[in-house]
Amino acid sequence: MTMMFTPLPEKLWNRTLAAHLLNRAGFGGTPDQIDLMVAMGPDKAVASFVDADEEGDLFPAPRMVEPSLRMEFRRRMKEAPDEFARREIQRELQHADTISMEDLRVWWLNRMRYTSDPLREKMTLFWHGHFATSNQKVNDPWLMLVQNETLRRNALGKIPSLLKDISRDPAMIRWLDLGQSRRDHPNENFAREVMELFSLGEGHYTEQDIQQAAKAFTGYRIRPETGEFRFEEKDFDSSEKSFFGQAGPFTGDDIIDMIVARPQCARFIGRKLWTFFVSPEPTDDQVSDLAALLQANRLDIKPTLTTLFRSAAFFSPKAVHHQIKGPVQWMIQSTRMLGIPLSEARVLEASLSSLGQVLFAPPNVKGWDGGRAWISASSLLYRYNLASYLLSGKARILGGGNGKVAVIPLGEIAPAERRTGPDELLDHVAFRVFNVPPPPRERAAFLTFLGKKPAPYSDDVVRDLLQIMMGTPEYQLT
Amino acid sequence: MKRPSPRTLHTRRDFLRTSILGGALAPTVPLFLEKTFLCLDSMAAETTGQYPTGKDATILVVLQLAGGNDGLNTLVPYADDAYYRARPRIALPRKEILTLGDYAGFHPRLSALKSLYGEGHLGVVQGVGYPNPNRSHFRSTEIWQTASNADRNESEGWLGRYFDNCCGGSDPSSAGVAIGGQTPQAFASPTPKGIAFTSPQQFRYMSEAANDPAAADTFVREMNQPSDAGAPSLSENSGGSIGMIDGPADDMGSTMEFLQRTALGARMSSDRILSILRKGTSPVSYPASQLGNSLNLVARLIAGGLPTRVYYVSQGGFDTHANQLPGHDRLMTDLNAGLASFTADLKAQGNFGRVLLLTFSEFGRRVAENGSAGTDHGAAAPLFVMGGGVKAGLFGKYPSLTDLQDGDLKFSTDFRSVYATALENWLGAPSEKVLGRKFPLLPFV
Repeated sequence: MTMMFTPLPEKLWNRTLAAHLLNRAGFGGTPDQIDLMVAMGPDKAVASFVDADEEGDLFPAPRMVEPSLRMEFRRRMKEAPDEFARREIQRELQHADTISMEDLRVWWLNRMRYTSDPLREKMTLFWHGHFATSNQKVNDPWLMLVQNETLRRNALGKIPSLLKDISRDPAMIRWLDLGQSRRDHPNENFAREVMELFSLGEGHYTEQDIQQAAKAFTGYRIRPETGEFRFEEKDFDSSEKSFFGQAGPFTGDDIIDMIVARPQCARFIGRKLWTFFVSPEPTDDQVSDLAALLQANRLDIKPTLTTLFRSAAFFSPKAVHHQIKGPVQWMIQSTRMLGIPLSEARVLEASLSSLGQVLFAPPNVKGWDGGRAWISASSLLYRYNLASYLLSGKARILGGGNGKVAVIPLGEIAPAERRTGPDELLDHVAFRVFNVPPPPRERAAFLTFLGKKPAPYSDDVVRDLLQIMMGTPEYQLT
Repeated sequence: MKRPSPRTLHTRRDFLRTSILGGALAPTVPLFLEKTFLCLDSMAAETTGQYPTGKDATILVVLQLAGGNDGLNTLVPYADDAYYRARPRIALPRKEILTLGDYAGFHPRLSALKSLYGEGHLGVVQGVGYPNPNRSHFRSTEIWQTASNADRNESEGWLGRYFDNCCGGSDPSSAGVAIGGQTPQAFASPTPKGIAFTSPQQFRYMSEAANDPAAADTFVREMNQPSDAGAPSLSENSGGSIGMIDGPADDMGSTMEFLQRTALGARMSSDRILSILRKGTSPVSYPASQLGNSLNLVARLIAGGLPTRVYYVSQGGFDTHANQLPGHDRLMTDLNAGLASFTADLKAQGNFGRVLLLTFSEFGRRVAENGSAGTDHGAAAPLFVMGGGVKAGLFGKYPSLTDLQDGDLKFSTDFRSVYATALENWLGAPSEKVLGRKFPLLPFV
């Protein structure tokens, strides 16, 4: 074990650090949930994430067009009396698929919102960005759901098993053209990206390695009637391949074993994990340390994160409150912090699209850039207005329609005894919103705002205070 | 890079204090605003020799025809029998074509474009595409937006790379404005610069949601600007109180600075855009369509002197798989009317000579019609360039209708030659830096 991951001294454990764990390993929480973590102490708090109860995490998947029903649509299209009838059936299927995708996104967002196993959802989101498969090309919501479940099942597991499962994942097979890869005409798309994007990064393999690996990944097919993976022996190229300087009649799984054996794999994934959980642009030493930790754990995510989350490095001042919230994180963390349900589907769809993170539709094979790329003048204004919308339900803000106002538990956010004076109210509410004490400039401005209002403060004042707190650059950080 | 004289800088700073920020920020002009001046000034020195105040710099408007416009029914090869053989149901009658020479001519609804062509303000680049064409909307749009090779996945947009190469840390609206709900991938860059909005009413902080809108507005204005020099931000300050771990929170300043800079930029561009639009409406009427509204907005922003040099608008609905004729007719009518109004508006403003409008679509369509009187996804297609500075004419060559590649036209001009020409000869930007390599330039500007 390296020096890097010396545990945080227990005596330093406090509300801000407990909130940091909640925010990074999950999607945040209320002051009550933070206090619960404080009471547990750091060991049990970390364990509550890495050993969470996944059994109790029941979220029945939405209904969608299953493979058998899709086959039925195809049959009807084939037997349609003319082109126009065929187009009509196709439109019917497209309509069903559009609704399925919306349901699927809302289902996952609600799962993130209410899960009893938040780290699993957080890692599923990490892997979704890593494998970056978009329904824009896959064009089958059912397959997107199946991939989501594959990512969730492997979320905290071993990287080699995950890579093997993902190579057999029907949505991935379609996304990177693996289904068209034949013995006589191997398609290199998956072979390239499995190394460039999923495990090693550019520059750690040759073009010849790609061509040889492409031969090994032949014969991967999808059964149309069930939407399941099947291996087509006759399309598989069983000839000898030469990969990373070794020769043999390698299969796709053999290739993955050779890839993950490279120290670079732990570095590549370690760097992404550090960026996702700790801080942007890790130093080479930090990457090396996390890579060593991954290797010591045989590329198993769960023990790796257990050590990372318990470490002093994870709670460094360079990490705490230094990360720009992604749109999904912003949305889930805001509703958890306020103690309100997610908005209706229409609002979720419109806002995550405007903010640039549509689930199951990452912008390209590299996934979301994250960090500063989340923030533009337009998206920042949109975030401010979305916060106002969550608090006021005034639908004009999102361009019309009838907004349903969520009932904000203002009595719980600011109990009567906290409403007697500006300092009492401010510090209480600011901790909930920011999880760190407000700096002088912000504090002074909040106080000026409250100074003009009569105490004890009304619900309207508390609501406005929340709104202006969420309309700051500070609130974009977690 | 030529540095502006201190005198110039001083004047610019005064200008900013008084005209853009009003009194709000008078005592301290943040560092990034000074960078904006330096940048604008050096751009001016390198390119036009003039300071682009918003009244004199050249402007590029990119118009996306989303869905894959049918190039063959847009610039119709009316003299080619192969066209009529391939499209027995949807070929446009020869006598209705607005001819340009003896081989091809415009769709009958493109009368204004025909006139512009005659006046010398419209060029058509023929057979535009790229090697190994991709027929997926998603992927081919991405290729056009990132200007990448078909076998490479890039995430930055070509205009985003232009912004990065030409101008750091400026007011975001001076880089690019897209009319639409999402920033186009063409604008994508590691630190996003342009802005995007569907309607300007949405591109502002909506304080009316608060119970006390005036107080909320004042607060948000105060808080969304860079902190005074030396004043610790939330996170810097909190390092001591939360940070049991030693070591200063040194990189925080930059993330916070970035957020504050973006927030102030958002406020500035929002204020400026709304103040321009409040001044009045266009003297010209536009078609009541999404395209008409978008072009109208762009014209008003240009008239108002917004120093933006790149605008992005789009028209949807070009995926004409079935019963194509009436649908495509409506699209051409809308495009024609939109561009006619835009031209008349810009001419009335005296800005027509400053604007180059460039259309593109992710692909053309198959040469042969399909079984439902429509067309499926194809490859190469023509695109339009329009503006007072354009040299009229047909550029590149019309691809053969019989020498096909998988049933599709073979491209004769790489789309990145069109981009390179717009970058080099219109925006005065180094195209090789933006596009990664040199592409032959075309003589349309």
